[in-house]
Amino acid sequence: MTTEANVNIDREKGNFHFNTNYAYDAGTGLSEDAVRYISEVKEEEPWMLGFRMKGLSIFEKKPMPTHWATKDLENINFDVIRYYLAKGQKPSRTWDEVPDDIKNTFERLGIPEQERKFLAGVEAQFDSEAAYSRMKDDLEEKGVIFVGSTEGLKDHPEIFKKWFGKVIPTSDNKFSALNSAVFSGGSFIYIPPGVKLEQPLQAYFRINAENFGQFERTLIIADEGSEVTYMEGCTAPKFETSTLHSAVVELVALPGAKIQYITVQNWSNNVFNLVTKRALAHEEAEVRWIDCNIGSRLTMKYPGVILKGRKARGEVLSIALANEGQHQDTGAKMVHAADETTSNVIAKSISIGKGRSSYRGLVQIPGHFKHCRNNTECDALLINSESETDTYPAITVQGSENSVQHEASVSKVSAEQIFYMQQRGMNEGEAMSLCVNGFVNDLIREFPMEYSVELKRLIDLEMEDSVG
Amino acid sequence: MSLSSTPPEPEPSLLSSESFFDEFADKRSWEPGWLADFRRENWEKTKQLTTNLKDDRWRFSPKARFGYKAVSGLAQSEDSIVFDAPEANGKTATLEQLDRILLQEPNLLIDLPNLAGPNLGADQSFHLARAFAEAGFYLRVGKNQKPDSPLFVDHSTNCEGLARFHLNVIELEPFSEVTLVERISSTNSDSGGLLTNLTHVKAGEGSKLTRIIIQEMNQHSSFHNLENIEVQKNAIMCNLAIHLGSAQTRVESKGSLTEAGAEFENLSVTLATKKQLFDQRTMQHHLAANGKSTLTFKNALADQAKTIFSGLIKVENEAQQTNSYQTNRNLLLSNEAKADSMPGLEILANEVKCSHGATTSKIDDQELFYLLSRGISRAVAERLIILGFFEEVIEKIGMQDQLADVRERIANSFTE
Repeated sequence: MTTEANVNIDREKGNFHFNTNYAYDAGTGLSEDAVRYISEVKEEEPWMLGFRMKGLSIFEKKPMPTHWATKDLENINFDVIRYYLAKGQKPSRTWDEVPDDIKNTFERLGIPEQERKFLAGVEAQFDSEAAYSRMKDDLEEKGVIFVGSTEGLKDHPEIFKKWFGKVIPTSDNKFSALNSAVFSGGSFIYIPPGVKLEQPLQAYFRINAENFGQFERTLIIADEGSEVTYMEGCTAPKFETSTLHSAVVELVALPGAKIQYITVQNWSNNVFNLVTKRALAHEEAEVRWIDCNIGSRLTMKYPGVILKGRKARGEVLSIALANEGQHQDTGAKMVHAADETTSNVIAKSISIGKGRSSYRGLVQIPGHFKHCRNNTECDALLINSESETDTYPAITVQGSENSVQHEASVSKVSAEQIFYMQQRGMNEGEAMSLCVNGFVNDLIREFPMEYSVELKRLIDLEMEDSVG
Repeated sequence: MSLSSTPPEPEPSLLSSESFFDEFADKRSWEPGWLADFRRENWEKTKQLTTNLKDDRWRFSPKARFGYKAVSGLAQSEDSIVFDAPEANGKTATLEQLDRILLQEPNLLIDLPNLAGPNLGADQSFHLARAFAEAGFYLRVGKNQKPDSPLFVDHSTNCEGLARFHLNVIELEPFSEVTLVERISSTNSDSGGLLTNLTHVKAGEGSKLTRIIIQEMNQHSSFHNLENIEVQKNAIMCNLAIHLGSAQTRVESKGSLTEAGAEFENLSVTLATKKQLFDQRTMQHHLAANGKSTLTFKNALADQAKTIFSGLIKVENEAQQTNSYQTNRNLLLSNEAKADSMPGLEILANEVKCSHGATTSKIDDQELFYLLSRGISRAVAERLIILGFFEEVIEKIGMQDQLADVRERIANSFTE
């Protein structure tokens, strides 16, 4: 039943690029000069240059984490990567102001259409800088800030500086240090106390140039009792050589706030996607990461929540689909740092062809806290006989008032299931696709409508021809 | 991901001194040349070991507690292994001291240099055991032979600061069956010693081996238990360990299902109290189709005890139709006790059923309330619940006498 076939991946929607003349280009390779250039172009204050320089020196000192991670990391050539490219664009307020060629790119990605669907705000990043940002006026009146990180730093330094780099220290890992040195773009969001956004805020990230590294930095602060949902999508055209995306995302949920952060990552499969994402949840705050990894060559991403206040809750829901030539190394981190904190991780992965998916988890509950609970479930589905899956959780629990449970299973679609559906007139591919959709269905139901429809369609496309 | 503990550089110990090894080699000059070379080769290797500061195989482990720095010499090997095996008279099974085999039939062990260890991190212990082992046992059960009663092997260690290395080889020829009970104890209760025990097991086609290990060393001792188990075609191996003693124990237990239809069961219960440390690393390695493996490690932790469980199920591409399970359950009885759990899976075949589960929690309030409401004191109720928690594993012992004995030993270890 499991005859092998190469799977055709539908990345055609994002597979295009336009030749663009860049006004600012930090050249190839990483050096103090490149970092200084980026800081100068962005007209940053001296403390920020110092921050970047510190990031650079930590990056140079830290070894590659290949003692636990895949050796594929060694294939990243930091010397040929271009660290900053921009057209000199300032975020435009209306669609008409956006330069035509960039507009073409985003037309194809469907950004204006999305906005027409009354999404609350859209921010689009083209290579290093935000090219277009638009937010509905009523949100602005409520005091919501939704701008690029460069703008955030310039216009709202009092909020920005207070939380920037506080959730994820520069020295957290080699790639967070790299991001600290060369970051540009990304979103800065502030939701004032009590403001509850009914519509999600959206961002699109797009790599357009070959050998380019994208290093956006996102900081979201939800003030007391506020609620926000943020969605990001990522695409890149297929280039011959590999490309690097290394973002840092920091979320701060102040007491009683709720943040939901949704990522649908569909990078083309020459992108190294090495992202550090972490949230700080204060008293009774709730942070939920919804993470879908469908594209990229190698993704290493372990969204985390530090449960700092009493009754804080953290959640990670993740779906990973690893096709031929892909390694989805994803997971979750839950650090319990107060009484009565709870966390939940549900991770589902599907490996097709020679694809490999890994789950890495970390749960920590120290003994001086009481009534902390964690639940982790990881399920893996293997489609072909050469598909691979790994699970590496690390759970540390102290204290007789706390409890954790972890469960993982690996299975394949059973021959009986396929046979049953074939009897009813489906072909094998359709039957397989239906089974895979059933496997992730309970997770997809948790997603906002337009994303769950999109995901189901993406999974159908990925499953096409996966069985012979 | 950052690592919580960074193991220190290997400390220089007496065992790595040239003159110490030369003296040891002189004393054993009666051994055949290949064995002398084998010892020296392994001893050289211990000196070449480079310490990777972030070795994942030692993650969460306070590695310094498993070093050989404090070793002040080697313990005399006489009587460190005693047999109680009336049936093993050479007809159904051969059970011999390692030294006697080396003296009289060294060719039985000619394969020793080719035998691998579990290779789950304790490289130093592995090579030291191969360099310095003077005691150990050799068990061979002949084709179709089935000794009626279990064989007993007692390991002991006692002296303050002295180390002892045991090297054991167990071979079951096709279609043989045997039950082996190994007891590990200290000869006195107030001075600590170190025992490193390296065991190679080969269960041939259709054979059935049940191995029970009961570890009751005194609270000052260190124990390194390394076992590499090979299960061949349709063979069934059940490995069951009960850990009650020692100050610190590192267990490395690897079972390889090398041929079709092999079955491997690896079970363990640990009662960790005071400042005891148990560092358990396991692997279930499926290399052939239709294999089945089950692993259940249960730890009850009181006081400031610490346990680390790291297990891996690895299913190779050839090992289709594999069923493999791994369970780690930790019962926390105090606020300072700490349990680390790292259940892992690496699956390269698709027609498999594999799962793992890990839970860490306290005693169920309702269970406790039920017992308290019947007039049972809290201390006794907790013990009953712990015994019940262990029962799922120890009832697999099967033999009534042994089962009763093990239950009693566990119950006794509470009262200390």
